[in-house]
Amino acid sequence: MGSQRAGSSPIADDGDAFRFCSTCAFSASCLAHGFDKTKLEELHLLVAHVGPYEEGDHIFREGDPFEAIAAVRTGTVKTYVTDSEGREQVLGFFLPGEVIGLNAISQARYPCNAVALDSVMLCRFSFPNIAALATRVPGLQQHLFRLLSEDIGKAALLAGNFTADERMAAFVVSMSRRHAARGFSATRFRLSMTRTDIANYLRLASESVSRGFSRLQDSGLLHVDRREIEITDPVKLEALARNILRE
Amino acid sequence: MNNRLEFDLNLLRRCDRPGPRYTSYPSAPQFSTRFTDADFRRQVARSNQEPIPRDLSLYVHVPFCFSPCFYCGCNRIITRDVSRGAPYAERLVREAEMVAPLFDRDRDVVQLHFGGGTPNFLNAPALADLVDSLGRFFHFSNARTRDFSIELDPRSVRDGDIAAYAAMGFNRASFGVQDFDRAVQLAINREQSIEETLSAIDACRTSGFRSVNVDLIYGLPRQTLAGFLHTLNTIVLARPDRVAVYGYAHMPQKFKAQRQIDDRELPDAAERLGLLQVAIERLTAAGYCYIGLDHFALPGDDLSVALAAGSLQRNFMGYTTHAESDLIGLGASSISHIGDSYSQNFRDLPPWESAVDQGRLPIARGLLLDEDDVIRAQVIQQLMCRGLIDRAQIETRFTIDFDLYFAESLARLLPLAAEGLVTFDGSRIIATSRGRLMLRIIAMCFDRYLATPSVSETQPRHSRAL
Repeated sequence: MGSQRAGSSPIADDGDAFRFCSTCAFSASCLAHGFDKTKLEELHLLVAHVGPYEEGDHIFREGDPFEAIAAVRTGTVKTYVTDSEGREQVLGFFLPGEVIGLNAISQARYPCNAVALDSVMLCRFSFPNIAALATRVPGLQQHLFRLLSEDIGKAALLAGNFTADERMAAFVVSMSRRHAARGFSATRFRLSMTRTDIANYLRLASESVSRGFSRLQDSGLLHVDRREIEITDPVKLEALARNILRE
Repeated sequence: MNNRLEFDLNLLRRCDRPGPRYTSYPSAPQFSTRFTDADFRRQVARSNQEPIPRDLSLYVHVPFCFSPCFYCGCNRIITRDVSRGAPYAERLVREAEMVAPLFDRDRDVVQLHFGGGTPNFLNAPALADLVDSLGRFFHFSNARTRDFSIELDPRSVRDGDIAAYAAMGFNRASFGVQDFDRAVQLAINREQSIEETLSAIDACRTSGFRSVNVDLIYGLPRQTLAGFLHTLNTIVLARPDRVAVYGYAHMPQKFKAQRQIDDRELPDAAERLGLLQVAIERLTAAGYCYIGLDHFALPGDDLSVALAAGSLQRNFMGYTTHAESDLIGLGASSISHIGDSYSQNFRDLPPWESAVDQGRLPIARGLLLDEDDVIRAQVIQQLMCRGLIDRAQIETRFTIDFDLYFAESLARLLPLAAEGLVTFDGSRIIATSRGRLMLRIIAMCFDRYLATPSVSETQPRHSRAL
């Protein structure tokens, strides 16, 4: 197969001492604030490339001591908690460029589990070190705050009283936007998560998720081929998602 | 799609070589015993977790035949002992009982096909029990578009059988005919009258079957143009919805029954082509559409409609409108196609029986498709079903540069293009009227596993294209 690669799984370049990976969660903040080389290097020294984690491998578990946040380089991570009766509750999915572990910042331990849904590579940032650096680099601090608020916003997304189709549409549009944000196709992407996970996350039954996707497909809004999603009518899909996503 | 076909004997001589029929890619010789039932279970679990899990197709193999047809290359057991049917059917039910719970309940069976051997080796009440049991373990679709089909040997169809099949839910039947010519029938050990065949087809019509298929074979011993034309005329008058005209593949080293055929009585290449030509001309003159490979259908038939709409599919049961489903094969030698995997049950009865008796899935071998297999399978599927390859579509779907990715295949395609079998039209590679009869040859250019054909191979694994 040589250098050819099929599918739409995004692969980040490696970056070097002065350039971050193209998917890096922090590259935007660095570029926007015109960091000098010393500061870039300082930030870069905090980063450890870890992985690959294979499908089903845990990255951290609820109760593990909190040491680091991590940006997803490749693959998809699911976070979840388990209730007292052993039922799993999916909290979120993290795509390349997104940061896991942010909800642990206020505590000493991770408040949830994080598991790889496919082959996952991470950029690990030791939290004490990045926090210390952030006090000296105002751009970095702002960026951390923004990541935090985005994380809180994501959780609120599905709390309201919305129809199944609105939830489904919002989920697909959110995936689309997040792929687009990292420079990948907004209309064609692969869902790494199972329909059980999607159902759990959207607080719907598994069958309802499939029926929802089928309805969206029958109405010509998107096309599903196994796990590949192609959005065929972004305008209508956005309209359906508008109540939840607002913007 | 271009429906015109062209004949050129010299061209065929130059280009024809043994190749797979591409009911699957990679083809069955690539299956390996490293594939285990754990792989199968994992693939099923994954397929349940797709956003819209695919509908299901069930293939049920009944291996028994009352007498050996000498041309046959199918996996079958010759016996006149009808009592062998009941224990086999019981094990089929047990296999279904093991397999069905692996699939989520919201996945409907939209296609059910009984093949053989001879499915009506089992008598009607036994078949009814079997279908009933399958319906308890799987959820049968109630949609009008569901295809429940059965291959029937008209010689074993008794009064009332067809109505009974209709009552079980079957709506499509397929009859083996091959040739009505008596000299041919004697040479292939299959004596079958026109009357019993036509009355079975009639019974399907009166019982409300939606579609009837007839299988013919060209290239059989003692076959003549006049005799085959007579068969074609008889069939055309009966007007089955679909007709398949298969080329007889003489491989006596591989299929023991074929050793009964005197190869001096076989038509030569020119005669074979003449037989095929007369079949195509007679059928198209009677209004049948050429679907592809060896298949013809009336314009109103689902296959013709799907062909026109570009939604035709191909799976182990041949051309279909339901290939976007996961296929479960039950019974000895049956093949399953779940997610990105193929798997095949034990071919021989004893290992299949003992696996089922021990409560194990009777899987003998299989294959997990890698990314390259998936891409090539899609290319070959387009070629076999639409007579073209849409390069732009393949590039978008798999994010590859087609010409770069398939540089080797395209190089192999060049001589065929020089012969006028394919043309390049913008982003599409199209089989011409000269190439339509040799889709397999064109597809072979994209088959990674044929890249280095072993010239010394004394026992061809595949039959010739025509």
